[in-house]
Amino acid sequence: MASFYTRYPGRVLSTAIDKYVYVVVNRTPLIEKISARYSISETVNHPSELQHTRIKAALLDVGITSGLELASFASLPAKTGLGSSSAFSVALVRALGVYQGKKMNKREVAEAASRLEIELLGEPIGKQDQYAAAFGGINTLQFNADHSVDVKPILIGYKTRLGLEDRMLVFFTGLTRDAASVLGEQRSNVDKKFETLKAMSDSVPKAEALLTAGDFEGLGKMLHEGWLMKKTLASNVSNRSIDTLYDTGMAAGAWGGKVLGAGSGGCVMFLAPTEKKAAIREAVARQAKAAGLSEFKEIPIHFVQSGVEVLHNSDYEK
Amino acid sequence: MKDFIDEFSGKVQKALQELPVEEIAKAMNILQACYERDGRIYVFGNGGSLAIATHWVSDINKTIFSHNLSEHTRRFQAVRLPSTESEITAWANDVGYDMVFAGPLQNYLQDSDVIIAISSSGNSVNIIKAVELAKKNNVPVIGLSGFDGGKLQSLADAKILVKTDKGEYEVVESAHGTIMHLITKYFKNYFDHLIERRATK
Repeated sequence: MASFYTRYPGRVLSTAIDKYVYVVVNRTPLIEKISARYSISETVNHPSELQHTRIKAALLDVGITSGLELASFASLPAKTGLGSSSAFSVALVRALGVYQGKKMNKREVAEAASRLEIELLGEPIGKQDQYAAAFGGINTLQFNADHSVDVKPILIGYKTRLGLEDRMLVFFTGLTRDAASVLGEQRSNVDKKFETLKAMSDSVPKAEALLTAGDFEGLGKMLHEGWLMKKTLASNVSNRSIDTLYDTGMAAGAWGGKVLGAGSGGCVMFLAPTEKKAAIREAVARQAKAAGLSEFKEIPIHFVQSGVEVLHNSDYEK
Repeated sequence: MKDFIDEFSGKVQKALQELPVEEIAKAMNILQACYERDGRIYVFGNGGSLAIATHWVSDINKTIFSHNLSEHTRRFQAVRLPSTESEITAWANDVGYDMVFAGPLQNYLQDSDVIIAISSSGNSVNIIKAVELAKKNNVPVIGLSGFDGGKLQSLADAKILVKTDKGEYEVVESAHGTIMHLITKYFKNYFDHLIERRATK
């Protein structure tokens, strides 16, 4: 968040995963309306009438007012903490860019999506998910005081990448919260928690070194320390359900883990020895059932190098 | 004779010892991303570099999957440019040699593609024109150059420079051949590993 990185470089280690958001934009020259199709379908005379705040803001910003149909498709439900809302923004700004004939590189797409969410919609979030979705791959991101972002790819080979996947478990708790509601408190706590945030930022180069060396156990233990720090950032980062699930996974043999996303819901992730995965899976699922988490599910995750891209552009010279 | 052999192999060994490891790793990540999204790889060069490109196309499209051809239905789609002699001569004769790569590349280029440009000097005009076309379209560029890298080294996203004295074409091309084989071998091992991994699950 800017309230931190304008005072001290913010750093994260992040990766793109094989869960995608697709945005389709279609010209409708004979239909002088705006249609938006997602979990519901809206057709309005002007984008300002749209209920979908992001599509509305994006269309108004680029000045598209009529003759467009837009639909979105996603591999995951909203609010899992895996960055799907920023992935949507990235796909949205890129698709509208193509529609308007704009050439955009990954950085421009990441910045446009960040601007949409942070400036136009006023969400109290950072830029890490937008950069992860736009660039793809495993990177360390550094957020600088001048608002620039350094993207440094972590150059690990397939053995380390697949090795990490083999030692990772991601569970969707079924609990969903708006990132904004969780992050609001974290943002107002930046002063109070400055030293903790600084320690979290400073831990990134060490995590990068452990990952590069293929030290999954070291990385797992580090995640655990990081999660203990993150929990102190605001009262709502964790809650009893999450703590219980996390403790269950740790007791079943995980090296460490964290909640993915802003907190208060979303996914719980563990790094664990491969031979402990089955036991962790069983114990955590049992605990989730006992806690009445009816939407609880394991999400299989693979890391991908690819980021935002245009799959098809039907415009050509006429 | 022996002195000559020692001197030449010494230069090649030095070039190989100083390979730009991070840039080659970046190139492999770019190719991995291209594979994931089923994009195409356009690869080209002049003279010996074109021969390296052609050799690599056969390896990356077929040889790396050889151990399990039937299991790997998603494969790389590498294309040597121009893909026909007719196009080379048509562009060279009608428009000029400067356009023999950029001309045909314009026909194919999509957002999901990657290009690999091979030029010992890094300054061949026809290579740079094609690289500029890719850059204009935000398509990732893997550049293999020699000597001081030339323009290609500054334009490429993965800057694979084999640094040598000017004019050491044989040393540069030998190292380029090795780098392309290194990439081939990495992906061959990767796809073999995926099959083994699947078998143990």
